[in-house]
Amino acid sequence: MALLIAVAVFVMSVLFGPREVVHERSRELAVRIPLVFQILTAAGDRYLAANLAGFRILVSEAYRMGPAELALQAQLQKDVSWLNPAHEDNYYIAAAILSVPEVIPAAQYILRRAADARPKDWQPLFYYGFNRYFYEKDPVAGALALLEAVPRMRDEGESWTMQNLAARWIERGYSAADAARIVGGMAENANPGRFKRYLNYRAQRLRDLAILKDAAARFRESQGRPPNSLDELVATRLIERIPDDPFRRGYTLDPQGEPIFAQRR
Amino acid sequence: MRFQSLEFTWSGMLSGLRGRSIQVTFVLGVVLIAFAYLAASFSPRQPQTIALDIGFSVLRFTLVLLALFWVQDLFTREIDRKIILHSLALPASRAAFFVGRYLSVVALASISVVILGLCLLLAVLMASPGYEQEFSVDLGIPFWLALVGIVLDVAVIAAVASAVAMISTVPVLPLAIGAAFAIGGKALGASANYLARGADGDTALVDRMGHWVDLVSVLIPDLSRLDWRQWSVYGAAPSAEQLLWASAMAISYAAIALILGVRALQKREFS
Repeated sequence: MALLIAVAVFVMSVLFGPREVVHERSRELAVRIPLVFQILTAAGDRYLAANLAGFRILVSEAYRMGPAELALQAQLQKDVSWLNPAHEDNYYIAAAILSVPEVIPAAQYILRRAADARPKDWQPLFYYGFNRYFYEKDPVAGALALLEAVPRMRDEGESWTMQNLAARWIERGYSAADAARIVGGMAENANPGRFKRYLNYRAQRLRDLAILKDAAARFRESQGRPPNSLDELVATRLIERIPDDPFRRGYTLDPQGEPIFAQRR
Repeated sequence: MRFQSLEFTWSGMLSGLRGRSIQVTFVLGVVLIAFAYLAASFSPRQPQTIALDIGFSVLRFTLVLLALFWVQDLFTREIDRKIILHSLALPASRAAFFVGRYLSVVALASISVVILGLCLLLAVLMASPGYEQEFSVDLGIPFWLALVGIVLDVAVIAAVASAVAMISTVPVLPLAIGAAFAIGGKALGASANYLARGADGDTALVDRMGHWVDLVSVLIPDLSRLDWRQWSVYGAAPSAEQLLWASAMAISYAAIALILGVRALQKREFS
């Protein structure tokens, strides 16, 4: 009888007990353990600690991350970089996901360390340079990072392309179409799966932003003023319709009438 | 003494191979290598690298466990069941018995590392066959050098656990101290480095842990210096000087532990 009661109470406690409410989005990133304890829980093995933290990052839902989760992800990725700066997935994901101004310093930390720890790999320098150019709006610093990557490239054609790109960055500065091509290239090199799909979405929205920027420039030329809304670009038949954002955040205009990505809600 | 030691080494190896703990841990090793293979599927860019990296971690962990079980079997259990009296009654010195048994643990670990290393090779070669990663892992000399590092690591830990077994009157103590020593030694380098750099501004952590890490740094070797996987996994070759000094550290520390172990055994009275 006592056993039956105990079993019944246990089952009820499992079914009805109140639970700790974890943030709905990206709950796998809810906690960050201090580095020393990460090493100790991996039996003292810093490489294993890096891989365990790396798995948490890989299974997180980048699509649904809010600013708090993204900041935590950035810190976790910095931890992985500190534990094992040569971790390829870590720098690649940092280049792909840590791409909003608040976490760009973390991405740059990870990419710079990866560039130093992987002396034969040109890609960390490429993404580091890309961030300097695209997010930090410093095309010359970006171009210098690309030129630092050139001696690491094995393919002569790629090496010339890189030098050409560096030259264009120095000459032209910011361009969403260039950014779309770079992210598209990252997607092509990724293993098929969710991460590749995510990169393709990012490349797509950059391509669409480039189309909107081009249309806004033509609008300015023809009307002598910047557009007041994106709908004006459709009304003047410069574009057929406002493109769908695969991340559902949409596009908007900055105060100067330049198309930009809408802020996270 | 040399031949007497070898006889104890041989009998120790046979005894170690007969123990059930070996079979269980070997199965554990193979299962964990399978984890390495599965872990590769998480990686979008470097599945073979992840399989090898995780595999090395698993090998280091499993080999330490194996060695501690063997120390438990060959020293602690013999003392506990008074079987050691038969061994010591043989016309051989206590030093020969101690060193011989220790060498059998190292020999068994070396055989195990080769077998588990071959399993790991298989896991890495099978990882993500449809995808060719840009930076391939090196499964030649760098791979085997990393395994040599693991054997040295195990040799130090086994020496310490064996020495503890000679003074311990509690059967589980060599296992517990050996495991704590292994974790402390492996974590030491990274933790000391982290705290020395200010622990990301966490001054409370530096105050709390700093003294302990300083104290431990004096007493135990930095076993992470014997982790030579960087060359095989990430193509960054260690310098000859780095390898030489790390090996010297391991061998000298194991020698200190063995000398203290022999002294303790010579002074110990068994009733």
